[in-house]
Order: sequence, then C-alpha cells, then structure tokens
Amino acid sequence: MELTPKILKNLIKSAQMATAHEIGCDECFDELHKFAEMELAGKSPAEAKPLVQDHLNKCGSCREEYEALLEGLRALQNGH
Amino acid sequence: MLNWFKRRRKKNSSYETNEEWIEALKPPVDEQAVKKLRAQLIRGLKPALHKYVDRELDQFVEDVAQDALLKVLDNIDSFRGESKLLTWAMKIAVREGLTELRLKRYDDISIEDLKPDDESREVFSLSVASDDTSPERSLHESQLVDKVLQIINEELTQKQKTAINALMIQGLPMPVVVKQLDTNRNALYKLVHDARVKIKNKLEVEGIDPDEMLNKL
Repeated sequence: MELTPKILKNLIKSAQMATAHEIGCDECFDELHKFAEMELAGKSPAEAKPLVQDHLNKCGSCREEYEALLEGLRALQNGH
Repeated sequence: MLNWFKRRRKKNSSYETNEEWIEALKPPVDEQAVKKLRAQLIRGLKPALHKYVDRELDQFVEDVAQDALLKVLDNIDSFRGESKLLTWAMKIAVREGLTELRLKRYDDISIEDLKPDDESREVFSLSVASDDTSPERSLHESQLVDKVLQIINEELTQKQKTAINALMIQGLPMPVVVKQLDTNRNALYKLVHDARVKIKNKLEVEGIDPDEMLNKL
C-alpha cells in the first residue's frame, strides 16, 4: 500500500473542506424530500438549505440517492 | 362500523392531498391507497434505478416498492406534510433500492478480499509513490507525507485512523467499511468528519497552509 500524491491530495482537500457544522447522512435524509421538491420547482435549494447541499457535495452515497430520487420524481412529473 | 364507513369513504378518494393520503395510510389502512402508492413507487423507481440494475429490473423494483411501502406505513406518523407524500415515499423507496443494490454489489466479495495484503502496514508505515522521480519533488512529497501522517497518528483516535485508512487510503467503498467497523453510514460520516476537522485544526495550529501543501504536490 502506497500513499500516492493523489491520495495525499484527497486527504488534504478533504480536511481543508471540513467545517465544524456539517450535517450527517441522517440529517441530510430528513431534508431530502423538501430539497428535491424545491429543485423540481426551479427554486434554489442550495441557497435555502446550504448544509444539505454541503453534505451532498461531500457524501457520495447521499448524492447518489438524491440524483436517483430526482430521476424518479422527474419521470413521475412527466407522466412516464 | 366506524372503520367500515372510513374505508368506504376512502375508496372514493383520489388521494390528491397529503391529508387524504395520511388518512388512507393510517390504520385501518385503505388497501386501495396502498395499491395506488405501490404503483406510483414502481413507476418512479424504474427510471431512478435502471442504470444500477442490469437484469430483472421489474422484479427488483416491485420488491423494493413492497419493502418501501412497509416502511412508509410504519413511519406515516413521522410524515409532517413538508412535501407531497409521494415525494417523501419515493425518497424512502430510492434509499431502500440503492441500499439493497449496494449490499448485493459487495455481497459476492469477501470482506477478506478487501483487506490490505499485509494488515501490519498501518497508516504510519505508508510510502510515497510518485510518477515524478525528480529528487527535489520527492523530497517535498516525502516531507508532506511525513507531516500528514504525523498529524493522523498523533491527533486521531484508533477508530478514526482505521476509517480514514479504509476509506481514503485503501479506497474501500463506504458500505464495506460500514460493515467492517460494524457501524452505520451516519456514524461513519460523523467519525470521518471529526477526523477531518482535527487534521484541519492541527494544520492551522502549525501554521501550515493546505493550499500551499496542495501546490507542492
């Protein structure tokens, strides 16, 4: 196992991006349905709920779920 | 008798409002409402999950919708009407589906297969690997690695080191690390978050600018 410059960069960036008030996956999940509806309504959920946006930027699993949720909701909206 | 009237009334409902849905999904549950919600979940889950499922999408989505419905019914009291009920239910269903897929994705891989070749190699004994072999560059990188590893080893708890090592150095997928550490996703995120904050604070205390570090890499 070697610590490549890429891994080192990711480690430093991830520490650099850390903020004291980050929310966890559970708190993000609690907000996700409201966040998704705002996005579908053309509002700016990232401005209204910056902590949720911040978590989605940092957590791949939650981001994956959010993107899949949007896909599903868009299809329902369009009557597919 | 009252329940009979309730059910009769609900059967004529179109379930357009959250109030109608909540009323229909609370005990005694209106089967017609459940049927309608299941159909909508299936319709939304297909486009949501199709790129993750390579075969038998229909069957998979039906199973997920059924499991999600049970969760929706169990948690209907916690729905506060802050979105459409269908959006909230879809959120539950999508997480159900992706969680199932993630478990399946790593089910065939033994946890042993994902462990490093030599478990004695902990964070502090990692070496630098770079394509750039110039001595000056290597020296910079070597110093940076030493500094970061020193911070990790001095500031983090054993559990934080294990999590950082597994997720960020070995690059293991989150579900695998969750299983390895016998924890859950939220707790793992919080554990790593605390570790990231500690590293950040230590860099600040030592007067090290992360941007400068990144530029040297």
